[in-house]
Amino acid sequence: MSEFWQALAQGVLIGSTYGLLALGMGLVYGVSGIVNFAHGDFISLAMFMSLALFSAFALDPYVSALITIPVMALIGGLVYRYLLRPMAGHQFLMIVQLTLGLSLVIQNGILMVFGGQPARTPSIVESKLIILGDVVLRLPHLIAFVVAFAMAIGLYVMLRSTDFGRSIRAVHQNARAAALMGVDVGRVQVVTFAIGVGILAVAAALLLPGTPITPTQGLQYTVITLLVVVLGGMTNFVSIMLSGLVIGLSEAFGQIYVSDTLGRLVPYAIFVLIMLFRPQGLTWRTS
Amino acid sequence: MLEVEGLVAGYGGTPMLRDVSVRLAAGEIVGLLGANNAGKTTLINCLSGIVQPMAGRIVFDGQDVTRATARERVELGIIQVPEGRLVFPEMSIRENLLLGGFCDRARPHRPAQMEKVLELFPRLKERLTQAAGTLSGGEQQMLAIGRGLMAEARILMLDEPSLGLSPLFVQYIFEIIDKLHKDGLTMLLVEQNLNLTLRHAQRCYVLERGQIAVEGDADIVKNDPRTRQAYLGL
Ligand SMILES: Nc1ncnc2c1ncn2[C@@H]1O[C@H](COP(=O)(O)OP(=O)(O)OP(=O)(O)O)[C@@H](O)[C@H]1O
Ligand SMILES: [Mg+2]
Repeated sequence: MSEFWQALAQGVLIGSTYGLLALGMGLVYGVSGIVNFAHGDFISLAMFMSLALFSAFALDPYVSALITIPVMALIGGLVYRYLLRPMAGHQFLMIVQLTLGLSLVIQNGILMVFGGQPARTPSIVESKLIILGDVVLRLPHLIAFVVAFAMAIGLYVMLRSTDFGRSIRAVHQNARAAALMGVDVGRVQVVTFAIGVGILAVAAALLLPGTPITPTQGLQYTVITLLVVVLGGMTNFVSIMLSGLVIGLSEAFGQIYVSDTLGRLVPYAIFVLIMLFRPQGLTWRTS
Repeated sequence: MLEVEGLVAGYGGTPMLRDVSVRLAAGEIVGLLGANNAGKTTLINCLSGIVQPMAGRIVFDGQDVTRATARERVELGIIQVPEGRLVFPEMSIRENLLLGGFCDRARPHRPAQMEKVLELFPRLKERLTQAAGTLSGGEQQMLAIGRGLMAEARILMLDEPSLGLSPLFVQYIFEIIDKLHKDGLTMLLVEQNLNLTLRHAQRCYVLERGQIAVEGDADIVKNDPRTRQAYLGL
């Protein structure tokens, strides 16, 4: 029985970070229709940036996030403005191709600078454990959970009740009408992309403690994020967070109850099963 | 107040509007008539900065705005109520109205302006938190007009406000237009409904396949045989 609670707790904690990763992707897809296949490589980039900051200044990943978040957001804004926006109106596959190309560029860039060996960025909280009865939680997971949900709630409130948030939703629901209200659609798209990539830097800091990193891990994060976004119906905020939990839980249960390697396939199996019976994913609204 | 001179515009290099010149004086209702595909929406989108003209000039209040962005035109008070209403379906009436007053010029006065709009459309007031997508066509048209008014329009361009509405609603919308006219609002009324428009507008232009076929005072346009001709597409 303790195994069960252990898997449950671990799944929820990790799943919240997956949800956060997916929110970034869903937000971008909502306002510009772009699915960014370099998503996971942006996470890698943020993680290696933290590693560099640790090597140079011994900064804890939680502290260096204060630097990586704005830097990543800036990179995101520039990538959208000068690489993706000129492709607007072209075929969807061309943009996919472009982001895949970007993924390779980032991957090889990291390889050139850091080499190919797995690396780690230590944190002071890395090995701290919290013991609740039979369940052992790693402190970094708990921090990830709290921060991910706080960010999600913050984003939700921003989208609901600020003018900037409303303008994001307006561009998503009808870009032409938004332009007629005086919303600068291009600017909303750039800023949203920047926010989406900035969120990845947060997620990177949350995932780092205790996790080995390799330059080629990006695709894995992209795929997990895609899983969550598709399951969450692409743009529905609440169901994306929910899907993050579902994927996190299936991963945790898979690893504990099946086997470490085979268990990794469980999220995909669950994903396929849900999509077979509910093609619209876990959303309850159709749009 | 608004002068359009020799406008040429289209899509992908093919002109849909050729040498179109239109004028609006302050406080006027000007009708823009024409059959399907005549180019009415294209013209209004040029005025909003959504479509870029290939040639010609647009002057608003003595200022050349031909190259101004859509946002800059909203800031100047050139406001469009689009064809098919285009309300934000998943947002409440209140949020739609707030977005109407999104521009810097209107934003500080939003609460007062919202009061006025809701006074004009009591039906919206009863449903403030209802999602716009669940409103009837007529209610959506009210909302679209209200949203345009939230921007404190100096010139309001209505693209087929009567499209798809029941006769009662059409009458109601035109009553609203008259009310706004009395308050001194300048309006460009794009319509296919010939008789109603001729009754409410002071002057009219008739577009025929991208060119102005007839123009002048409503009475003159009404009795010009070319008007009916342009309409029937003969
Ligand atoms: N986005 C677009 N891309 C290409 N062609 C377009 C586009 N929008 C309109 N057109 C074409 O331009 C012409 C004029 O269209 P427009 O929408 O201005 O006509 P309209 O007078 O508003 O017609 P309606 O009464 O049906 O609204 C039409 O032949 C139309 O097919
Ligand atoms: Mg039209």
